[in-house]
Amino acid sequence: MRARIFAVLAYTGAAITLVLAILVPFVLLGGFTGLVARAGLHVDASYSGGDIARVFDRNGYQVAVYRPVQPHFLQRVHPFVQIAFKPAHALPPRIDEEVDLDGDGRPDVRIVFAVPASPDAPLHGDVIALNGSYRSLANVGGDSFSELLVRTGDQILVRVPFRGASPRN
Amino acid sequence: MAVLSFSASIAEALVLGLATGPVCVASCGPVVLPWMLSQPQGVAAQSRQLALFLAARLAGYLIFAAGIWAAGASIPRSWMASSWVFGSIRILLAAGLLVYAAGWRRRRCASAGRPAALVQIGVSPRPKVEGAFALGFLTGVNFCPPFLVAGVRAAQLASLPGTLLFFAFFFAGTAVWFLPFVSFGFLRRTPAVVTVARMTAALMACWYVFTGISSLIERAVYG
Amino acid sequence: MASISSVPRRPAAYRGIGRSLLLTLPIALWSLLMFSRAFQQPDRAGWAGAIVVMLFMTFLFFMMMRTGTTYRWRRYFFVALGFLFPVGFIAALISVRGTMSIPIERMVAGDTPFCFMVIPMLIVPAALTRTIIFPGSILPTASNPHSIAVMIGLWLALSLVVGKAWCSYACFFGGIEEGFAAVARRPRIRRIDPRLRLVPWAMLIFIVALSAALFEPVYCTWFCPFKTVTEFARVRSIETAIQMGIFITLFVALVVVLPILTKKRTQCAFFCPFGAFQSLFNKINLFEIRFNRDKCVDCTLCQSACPTMAISADSVREGKTLLNCMKCGACVDVCKKDAAVWHLKGTRVALKPERARLLFLYGAWAMATMFGGSILGNSLATILHFLPWK
Repeated sequence: MRARIFAVLAYTGAAITLVLAILVPFVLLGGFTGLVARAGLHVDASYSGGDIARVFDRNGYQVAVYRPVQPHFLQRVHPFVQIAFKPAHALPPRIDEEVDLDGDGRPDVRIVFAVPASPDAPLHGDVIALNGSYRSLANVGGDSFSELLVRTGDQILVRVPFRGASPRN
Repeated sequence: MAVLSFSASIAEALVLGLATGPVCVASCGPVVLPWMLSQPQGVAAQSRQLALFLAARLAGYLIFAAGIWAAGASIPRSWMASSWVFGSIRILLAAGLLVYAAGWRRRRCASAGRPAALVQIGVSPRPKVEGAFALGFLTGVNFCPPFLVAGVRAAQLASLPGTLLFFAFFFAGTAVWFLPFVSFGFLRRTPAVVTVARMTAALMACWYVFTGISSLIERAVYG
Repeated sequence: MASISSVPRRPAAYRGIGRSLLLTLPIALWSLLMFSRAFQQPDRAGWAGAIVVMLFMTFLFFMMMRTGTTYRWRRYFFVALGFLFPVGFIAALISVRGTMSIPIERMVAGDTPFCFMVIPMLIVPAALTRTIIFPGSILPTASNPHSIAVMIGLWLALSLVVGKAWCSYACFFGGIEEGFAAVARRPRIRRIDPRLRLVPWAMLIFIVALSAALFEPVYCTWFCPFKTVTEFARVRSIETAIQMGIFITLFVALVVVLPILTKKRTQCAFFCPFGAFQSLFNKINLFEIRFNRDKCVDCTLCQSACPTMAISADSVREGKTLLNCMKCGACVDVCKKDAAVWHLKGTRVALKPERARLLFLYGAWAMATMFGGSILGNSLATILHFLPWK
């Protein structure tokens, strides 16, 4: 009797598995994807740059300053602040901007770089720290997640590390 | 007034330890985890080993607290990254882990006169106190970010006893986060589990050797 | 030492053509359904790829029904998947980026395609901080359809159905070493320490602990052999050069050389932490391989044939495989006494093994067609696009 019950359960389970297999491309895949998407997860800020803190309007473009990114646990990334210049196609040929990063009304860094005409051309520029909280970067490009000057899509991103961090990837 | 100030420092140390404890676990966990899995089963046995480990870690903390106070300076974060001490400690930790990975198989036939079923891979009949002490002490002196934060704060205190007490309560706050490791005592110590633990210890040792040597090379090249 | 290719198999015709065709019909219809979308695109190379794959998958299933064997036909699909996936993937990388290396700006933009191997490393950081330690994007974008949510959703859905059989029917990396394992007629290295089976578990604990501590996907940045045939961080420092050296060394050793010498899937059996993670599904999956002790004569053919050493003398005595069994069917096909059988948990062992095999294969092959088949179709279309045909 017990064996029969187990067998019934087993075949029921197998049938359910087959039904699930049929449902995978039509229901389950989308359902699980939506579940993950709604789980409130976010990509680590050392990759994504974090959330926008404030936006400054300029002549035809915007400068977005992001919230400071602090490393988790023993993460091998130095604390940094990301700045985005967008849209890239509307930027002047040369950027020479003083940017307030901490929202105290005083500029903290000066960012200087030439905007190449081609979106695929490599970018390099300088970041000059105007106070002791941040670190200057000379001829920075795609160096590391905490020190970079790159173009992604239609924006140019700059990441300025906090002072005190040694230049390691 | 002095009592209030003293209490405030203790509370600060405890809260700092509790707040930064997860980072301590992240730093020491890769060492503790494989080592504890290679220890005998049972919550009581695991608790004893963990207590020894934490006691040795406290000893490491207090020795450095005394050193910081005597030097009257804080340890910069950059020194953590590329220093002879940091690199050497990592290599010593790796050596400690390799001892566990290799096991203490007796060269003489261990099963002489005993049924074969009693001979198991990697399980020592008596957990060694020295091992817990060595690993605990080395992780205690292995700089991690919370350690440096506490060091900065402790270095500002006026007296040696105050500094030591600060670090002791800081340690207590971080130690709370290690208590869940006792739950590994419930895991059945089959030969497979112990072997996996030893292999993990070996892998972790390789990682520590790599990072330790990288740190030493960086110190030698860049200063 | 006996291998799957040298042992006489059961009679070529296990089942009549008519019955075999009837049993294959659901898979044929399923293939048509899965590839119907390809015919809605104005891409003749896509049509050709879809038709070839539909026929290929249907034919292989038909042969499984006709011969009563599984391993050999599954292996044709799996090796094809292993070798064609990199072709399509690399071609796509080259056409979009001009290089297999992924520049940091693409990672920052969240354009890194998500790989299921990352999943075990994500769990602790996500549980503690709701953070995904991978430079991808949560939702699919135009530049990155293989987003984190899509790939995790796909893995969840497939694992629910096939469990550890993922390693035999879905993993597009395993087919590469399975192909190399089939090269030599006989193994040159016959004695392998069985404790090496435990290395994947140690690797799993190691990468999970280290990834949680360092908040980066340690396996991807340091240990994945398949970076060699997919994409990798641009080499621009000593560290990245060391990483590249490790990838190449592990690929050559574990995926090419050792499989040829041992005729085992050495990367899967002795290294892959994701395989260890996926083994946990064997605890809940309903399908397994069992050994009928009444018929077993302890000839050890099954142990020799198993590509991942998931069978030991002790496990055979207990009538079952080890936890890392990936249900490839090699042991069942090679057993001369029909002692190794497919089994549905909860039923009596060896009572209706063919029924258990059918129930398992319908689910597994449906998933293989949906997932692996689509990869095969895309890769074939990519190859056809390069050919000068109109």
